[in-house]
Amino acid sequence: MKTLNRSLWIFLVLCLGGVAAAFGQVPDAPPVDFPYAGNRTGVWVVAQLHILFAAFILGAPIFAVVAEWLGYKNNDPKYDRLAKEVIKVTVILYSMTALTGGLFIFVLLGTYPDFSTWLIKHFFLVFAVIYPLLFILETIILYTYFYSWDSMKGAKKGRHIALGILLNIVGTVTLFVIDGPTSFMNTPAKAAEGLSLVEFIQTAGLWDKMANYSWMPLNLHRLVGNVTFGGFIAGLIAAYMFMGSKTDEERSYYDWMGFVGNMIGVGALLLLPFMGYLLAYELCDYDASICPYMMADQLSMFFEMQGAMIGLIFLASNYYIWLSLKRIQGVDQVRISGFVALVVLLMPAIMGYTWKMFPPPEWQSLIVLGALVVLPAILGKIPGLKNFTVSAFTMIKVGFLMIVVADAIWMTPHGFVPTQGLATEEVELPSWAGELALMPAKNAAAFTLVFLTVVNYILYNRAIKRGTIIWGKIDFASQFVLIFLAFSAIWTMGLMGTVRSLTRKYYHVYNLVPDFSPEAFTPTLAYSAWWITGVTIVFYAVVSFAILVTLKAGSPKPVGSPASPIPAEAK
Amino acid sequence: MANQSFAKSVMKKATIGVIVGVLLVVGAKFTHFPYVFQVMFFIYAMLGALVFILLDAPAMKRLEGVKAVGALVVFYLLLSGLYIAGASILPQFDPEDEKGKIEKILKPRRAQTEQGKADELIARAKELDERAQALSKQLASLGAEAQVEVVEQPSSAGAGAATGDVIALGKEQWELQECYNCHKLFGQGGKKRGPELDNIGNLMTVDQLREKILNPKSWKAEGFDKDYDKGKMPDKYKDLMFPKEIDALVAFLSSLKDASVKTPKPIKMN
Repeated sequence: MKTLNRSLWIFLVLCLGGVAAAFGQVPDAPPVDFPYAGNRTGVWVVAQLHILFAAFILGAPIFAVVAEWLGYKNNDPKYDRLAKEVIKVTVILYSMTALTGGLFIFVLLGTYPDFSTWLIKHFFLVFAVIYPLLFILETIILYTYFYSWDSMKGAKKGRHIALGILLNIVGTVTLFVIDGPTSFMNTPAKAAEGLSLVEFIQTAGLWDKMANYSWMPLNLHRLVGNVTFGGFIAGLIAAYMFMGSKTDEERSYYDWMGFVGNMIGVGALLLLPFMGYLLAYELCDYDASICPYMMADQLSMFFEMQGAMIGLIFLASNYYIWLSLKRIQGVDQVRISGFVALVVLLMPAIMGYTWKMFPPPEWQSLIVLGALVVLPAILGKIPGLKNFTVSAFTMIKVGFLMIVVADAIWMTPHGFVPTQGLATEEVELPSWAGELALMPAKNAAAFTLVFLTVVNYILYNRAIKRGTIIWGKIDFASQFVLIFLAFSAIWTMGLMGTVRSLTRKYYHVYNLVPDFSPEAFTPTLAYSAWWITGVTIVFYAVVSFAILVTLKAGSPKPVGSPASPIPAEAK
Repeated sequence: MANQSFAKSVMKKATIGVIVGVLLVVGAKFTHFPYVFQVMFFIYAMLGALVFILLDAPAMKRLEGVKAVGALVVFYLLLSGLYIAGASILPQFDPEDEKGKIEKILKPRRAQTEQGKADELIARAKELDERAQALSKQLASLGAEAQVEVVEQPSSAGAGAATGDVIALGKEQWELQECYNCHKLFGQGGKKRGPELDNIGNLMTVDQLREKILNPKSWKAEGFDKDYDKGKMPDKYKDLMFPKEIDALVAFLSSLKDASVKTPKPIKMN
């Protein structure tokens, strides 16, 4: 046996030596030309798909462990079922993440061999050791977390939740680690005094390259984005299952799940504009010329599209709250101080003016902001004024009006031109209205959207305390709203990912490694939209398939019977 | 009955939407908003009307089986079409404009790489080969006594420099490095990020201009304290531009001597 083993080893070594010798005589293969789309688009599509799957497998466990904890704390099995169903889909999509990740590496190496090798050499420890180890660790914890669900019940539940938290910690660290090279490509470390950037990068340590200007903003933006994404995908799962439900019990459960998914998605969404702003701020701080490129040059219309998408997402998420409210019996009696409606109506104008005069973080701007938020609550308690109230439905309608207004402000550009170089009076704002295109106005619009969404949730909270929710009886259109939200969130992620990549201009690594390929130009928005839509559809198709296979094929029996109308407060 | 009242509600809200839209358009026209903004305001008025129509829409009937799947497919197609159309309606940047610029910026840098040097040698060898073949053809057709006219071909690289028009090259660098995004010049570009430079040639010497480009912290423009403190002017040009490109840009800037424009006074910092 030993002799056989030894012979096999010798044979293997000879084979390897033979292959190496043969390869040593073969000239380098030329870089691959990606058919039809070209190399850049090929890499873009595969990378975007990978990022979407990765975002889901990182966002969904955050959502799941919170749900599991709520179920444990409130002794409510619905939350536990919700968490488990989301993790079931995550397990399936985990393999897709690995598959697209591998594909991404192969495509990158095949199409841009020189640059890929350069990047791998600079981050060798990350790519060859840290990232794979973290991925393996995450895989082990994820599968343990999922397969121990039923065995770690009762007294062991706390330990199971701790495992979920550990999974999220490892997932978040993995995200932060891989964001290092990604953000480095946008904002490579600044050179030390007296050295050129090239010289500095040659001698810089791994940490110098990882901890670059946009690393932490990108980490935070992606982390919050992933939670938003996880929430909206949970809403998507709920919508599919609601549409396919055969019983009232199932419908009531998936109606509830859709509500929870949307609430978490919207909750994280409220932070997202500010995280995006932070990332853009750091990019501009690194190199001020990136700002005009984004806002006034080739990418300006990409931001117009982003404004439209954000507006639609806020409209849809508030419309879902509206539909949810409509099925609460007794909602007619819920009222709110009329001063809140007044503040919402005046907010874009007041905050736009304040932020123009006192740009944040100057204290005057924070005082006005605080006053606007607190004042309605104080005035609403003063005798004589506290009777000035409006109904929940009136307040929400005022909110919808202001969503449209705020989005119009968000979308108003300095000029409807793809670059300021082509600006003429026929397409530019009149000079007296120039403020509409500046950051104070945009921030005021974003804050208004966030503020009135919070107000709508406060109203919803009041309604469920006073009224009776009839789970399962929500307007069927709400399921299309949930699907719309997930689709639009994914599309917007694709759009903004495109923008982040394009801010590198004609460089693989900004200002450091030029892209000499003929595709190093900025593609048009229309061209980008086709590919973003294609990627979204492919991702959607895979996720839909995963949902149907994992949940629909083996539909579990409903837990409890929340279909019967139960006064929420009594419950 | 419910359908009738919804139809009435749709009519009412659509009418209000059109009225608000028309009022916005008239107001925008009166206050000198260009046509494209007037259209945008009208679209937003109609979007508002659509939202309020949806708010009072009757509950949708449940869809099951094939109908539900069909509705989903149609919904996805509609969304995809809407987003592609929306992105396509907006003004598009022509990549051809950028390709020429990228070629001008990257060509000299590519020439410095190993691959670039190899490509240049191959191109040169090809060119020589073609000329040799053309010469032997000429010799063969004209006989040995025929005089062969050899035309000296100018090198494509540095054609501008050969003419000695350094200022034109400097102006080209102004465009390529996108200085116009921050500095106003000849009444164009700027947006107040950096000082207007029409008279900079009267305020700074060639050496001072070079110093400012290579080390932006060395000089401050009067009235631009915040921008200076934030380090708004990128300190990347020393890494990105070749010395002769910087020379050309400096020559161009020092030629700007329009005293009628108030270029802020430069202040030496360190």
